[in-house]
Amino acid sequence: MSIDVAERDRTPPSGPEQTTTGRQRVLAPPVTGQELVLIGVIAVLWAVLAFTTPAFFTPSSIQPLVASVAPIALIGIGMTVVIITGGIDVSVGAAIAVCSVITAKLVLVQADQSLLVAVIISVIVGGLLGLLNGVLIAYGRVHAIIITFGTANIFLWIALKIFNSTTVNNIPDTLAPLGNGAAGRTFGVPHSFLITVVLAAIAWYYLRHTAGGRHFFAIGGDQLAAQLAGVKVRQRILAAYVLTGLLVGLASTFVVAQGSNLGQNVGGGKELAVIAAVVIGGTSITGGRGSVLGTVLGALLVQTVASGVTQLGWRSELSDLFVGVAIIIAVGADLLRERARGKR
Amino acid sequence: MTVPTLSEPEATAPDKQSRTPGPERGESLAARVVRALLTQRIVLLAVLIVLVVVYFIVLGANGYLTAAYDFDYMSAALINAVPLAMLGFAELIVILSGRGGIDLSVGAIVSLAGMIFGFAYGQWGWPLWLAIAITVLVGGVLGLVNGILVAYIGFPALIATLATYYAYKSIAVVINNQRPISTRPIQNLYDSTARSVELPLIGSYIPNVPKGIFLFLLPTLIVVWLLLARTTYGRRVYAIGTNDVAARWSAIGVRATRAGAYTISGLISGLVAVVTVGQFASARPDAGVSGNGMALPAITIAVLGGVAITGGIGRVSGIVLATVLIVWMNAGIRLAFEGNAGPQYQLLALGVLLVFAALLNGFALRRYGGAG
Repeated sequence: MSIDVAERDRTPPSGPEQTTTGRQRVLAPPVTGQELVLIGVIAVLWAVLAFTTPAFFTPSSIQPLVASVAPIALIGIGMTVVIITGGIDVSVGAAIAVCSVITAKLVLVQADQSLLVAVIISVIVGGLLGLLNGVLIAYGRVHAIIITFGTANIFLWIALKIFNSTTVNNIPDTLAPLGNGAAGRTFGVPHSFLITVVLAAIAWYYLRHTAGGRHFFAIGGDQLAAQLAGVKVRQRILAAYVLTGLLVGLASTFVVAQGSNLGQNVGGGKELAVIAAVVIGGTSITGGRGSVLGTVLGALLVQTVASGVTQLGWRSELSDLFVGVAIIIAVGADLLRERARGKR
Repeated sequence: MTVPTLSEPEATAPDKQSRTPGPERGESLAARVVRALLTQRIVLLAVLIVLVVVYFIVLGANGYLTAAYDFDYMSAALINAVPLAMLGFAELIVILSGRGGIDLSVGAIVSLAGMIFGFAYGQWGWPLWLAIAITVLVGGVLGLVNGILVAYIGFPALIATLATYYAYKSIAVVINNQRPISTRPIQNLYDSTARSVELPLIGSYIPNVPKGIFLFLLPTLIVVWLLLARTTYGRRVYAIGTNDVAARWSAIGVRATRAGAYTISGLISGLVAVVTVGQFASARPDAGVSGNGMALPAITIAVLGGVAITGGIGRVSGIVLATVLIVWMNAGIRLAFEGNAGPQYQLLALGVLLVFAALLNGFALRRYGGAG
């Protein structure tokens, strides 16, 4: 069924209860409570950091912060869609390793290709890895977490094969327009962050206001019901993983652009960081509910905490503790609201 | 006794498997073998173990390996099975408890509890038994935190244990300023845990076996098996994993049972911390989380061992066989490749095996199990 849910919302259904209690919202409000809380928390954090460490509100501190948000938030867009359909992808860390080593070593160091070629190849490689996940999950009908645990190992093998036991050194600065340096900024804003914001805005609109976007929510809410309603469930699930793969490819170019060396541990643990950003952003891990805006805010919160911990002169490992606490608080607040909603 | 009608432990455990029709009349031998391979994970694993061992022995006999793949080598490799299988049991209990049960924090608990063990035994000079007791207790408390978050507050297990993974990992690193503890008593532990010993009576006929197998793995194996197959608590875990609501209507304390599963997972992780410290001869703050960490291999073992990720299905024997398969396969791969290529191919083999097992699970369920 290609009826837009938002469209259906606009035509008031005829029922006696609607007149008194007001319309029942089908579509979540543009900015949900979770996102308001996140905006508030980030604002408070930034204010506190600005007062305690004078160096925080300077371009040299904010620029690396938003640049480090970019890869996490970008992959988070795809991960949000995947989790909305009720799946998960724990192979993104290993996929980052494959895409970045291919881009850095084969495309830039050995073939010395241009920026455009590097980005295209990285995105295609990422898309292929996502395609493998998607085919196995959509058509093998196996739980996503198991398949992606398996493919994560396979991807890591591919990456280490290409690394061939050494780090990649002397990467040419072809990707500088996507990096952290002066070439990577316009009016002081890192390009990687701009790209992320634009893509997130498109994804946000697509997921909320088009029939195709609502299909993902339908699948996550009830896969069988979605199928019976005419949603092409398998194709949609496949598309979610391919999208994640493509975005991993793009994010990998940001990672490569950050320096002239690439270590073999690139991407390690990033899958958990992305999932953390998504769940902090209010996306339900059981599927059917979530938003890209929340994910971007979640990524921003996580990186703010990491940046704040180092700026306050604390041990950088402590930031993980705060990330853990942030997950508990964010998801806990969501649980409480859900419970209150259920009782009403 | 909450489920008095079910006397055979195996009968309830694989509730969905019990729907599988038995060998049908007139089915050929070949068809029956295929059915056993596809529906009985233990049969499949046993066949795979035999194949792997025979393959590497043949390779070794033809001189393709860098060292002999003999029984001594296979026996020595079993030391790697100790932490792997024990954490596999931890994941088994948690995944069995259902409602998306999973424990990503086991590696981080191993790190943190290992540091506590390092302090207690290596620096404060506590007696060994007390140090082990406090380590296991700390693991249990950390697991209880997971249990409370999941069972009582209602966090999805993936999120709760992801959060505690971050938190415990961070505390383990900060607690001793990122420094490992490797004082004299800790270094001496290697002898009493990882060293291979000759068994009494039959020792001269079989290869020497690492001590850790007898000191840690077998006791844990027996306790977990008794717990799951022979106690009321075990029946309850299977019950809540199979059907949460039905279990509640059967007057089972669903929350306490589920919280207990995470606590047991923590207790086992605490014990693994002791093993790991002994094996490394050092209490390392990143012991359980470096590289791929310990949680992912443990979950892999559980899935390979036939534990259904949806809960309620899974057995101790599957975990044991899956561990043995992985350990002996990795040991063979290490001999087949030189340098860094070995560990890399271990990743590939693990990944392929996991995807293959998962696809096979799905196929077997559709082919033989009726509606999945």
